[in-house]
Amino acid sequence: MNDPVVRADAVHKSYDGLEVLRGVSMEVGRGEVKVIIGPSGSGKSTLLRCLALLEPVDSGVIYLEETALGGLRERELAAHRSEVGMVFQRFNLFQNMTALANVMCGLVEVRRLKKAEAHERALEFLERVGLRDKAGSYPDELSGGQQQRVAIARALVMRPKAMLFDEPTSALDVELVREVLDVMEGLARDGMTMVVVSHELRFAHHVASSILMMDEGRIIEEAPPEQFFSSPTHERTRRFLALVE
Amino acid sequence: MLATFDSHIFWEALSSRPYWHGALLALELTCLTLVAATVLAFFLALGKLSRFRLLRGVVLVYNWFFRAIPTLLLLLFVWNGLPQLWSVFTGNWYKAFLAAFIALALNEAAYMSEIIRAGLISVDPGQELAARALGMTRAQILRRVIVPQAVRIIIPPTANEFITLLKLTSLASVISLYELLGASTVRGSQDFRYLEAYAAAAVYYLAIVSVLMAIQAQLERRFTWSSTGRRRQRRVVVAPAVPAGPHDAR
Repeated sequence: MNDPVVRADAVHKSYDGLEVLRGVSMEVGRGEVKVIIGPSGSGKSTLLRCLALLEPVDSGVIYLEETALGGLRERELAAHRSEVGMVFQRFNLFQNMTALANVMCGLVEVRRLKKAEAHERALEFLERVGLRDKAGSYPDELSGGQQQRVAIARALVMRPKAMLFDEPTSALDVELVREVLDVMEGLARDGMTMVVVSHELRFAHHVASSILMMDEGRIIEEAPPEQFFSSPTHERTRRFLALVE
Repeated sequence: MLATFDSHIFWEALSSRPYWHGALLALELTCLTLVAATVLAFFLALGKLSRFRLLRGVVLVYNWFFRAIPTLLLLLFVWNGLPQLWSVFTGNWYKAFLAAFIALALNEAAYMSEIIRAGLISVDPGQELAARALGMTRAQILRRVIVPQAVRIIIPPTANEFITLLKLTSLASVISLYELLGASTVRGSQDFRYLEAYAAAAVYYLAIVSVLMAIQAQLERRFTWSSTGRRRQRRVVVAPAVPAGPHDAR
């Protein structure tokens, strides 16, 4: 096992008295892809948001490489956020910007790059997701699959240490899922460290280093895909897999 | 009936200096007031959306007070009452125009703050989330992402506010600021040709509002984000409705 890029240690998180994460520990090594599955309300998205430093944790620690980010306040977290890329279920592209401007935004505002340099690098990353020709289009003019690919480029262009995906294909029409998964598989092949919340089991089977099953705010099982699918140890996992397949 | 309408007097009034002057004064006062009120209202709106209860309370009291007080009363208070309160306001520098500006801006900010707040909260929370995930600061998120999108929603009710303000400037005639309506009343009473005098004033109001509507259409196109400028416009119909303030009897 190599050094973990992102690590959660005994993370607890509650909203309005409801405990969503009840002591979650996990880690992702460099170049690993971890896929998280589990029923809705099991805390998958919350875990991802905590890893993305979008939510302060109540207790426990999030580590980014060797840096402990537990107990930090909102403002202190912000500085570290650009080191982790986040892709959302509903894309969340900035509606008032073209695809190109969306990808440039973080470079110009956060990385303080010159416009010309940001422009060039943004185009390069749009190319990488196969959308260079859509640089001038606004989100409203793109299909869901195209929007999600731009969103991936927007996160990637920051050169994050890890990429987090929160159900990246579940808001997409079936025929658009493939193009997004292709991009993600490409990333995995290139050695990107990834945590993916997804119910695309075939993708998980193909790409994941291991699969994590969450239920009621806990990780109840973690195993490499072969073992996870063929012989899940937990009764809850078996039932869930039966439902999803 | 129309035979009694003297078009010569009408044209004469229309092109007369007091009308020009009055219209310009009304327009100036409206624009300055709206700009000042919008700036103040932006911070009021942020205050109302703040996590801090005290700040929300301050804005609540402000909006309560300035929406409850009739504009005319506020105008008279600022013009006649302030000099009594502070002797600085008895100076020659304290002009009716300034008093009208202060009163109208304080009043208008209360209305505008609600419009701006509605615009800000109409922006999909996912936009802010994505911006935070990139590591943008709160100020950057407002400037680059939220405000531009809120503006699209804010334009139509703000154009309404402009028109309301334009009409409210006529209240300033009670503190001897002779804007358009004041000028037309003076003109009409000269020879009791009120019909022509008022008709000429109406033409100015129509002209100003026509220009405003053209500008509004331009602005709305400017804040429509698609390269063709069409597709999104149809969508905007389903955009959350912004509660417009009561316009008649401030």
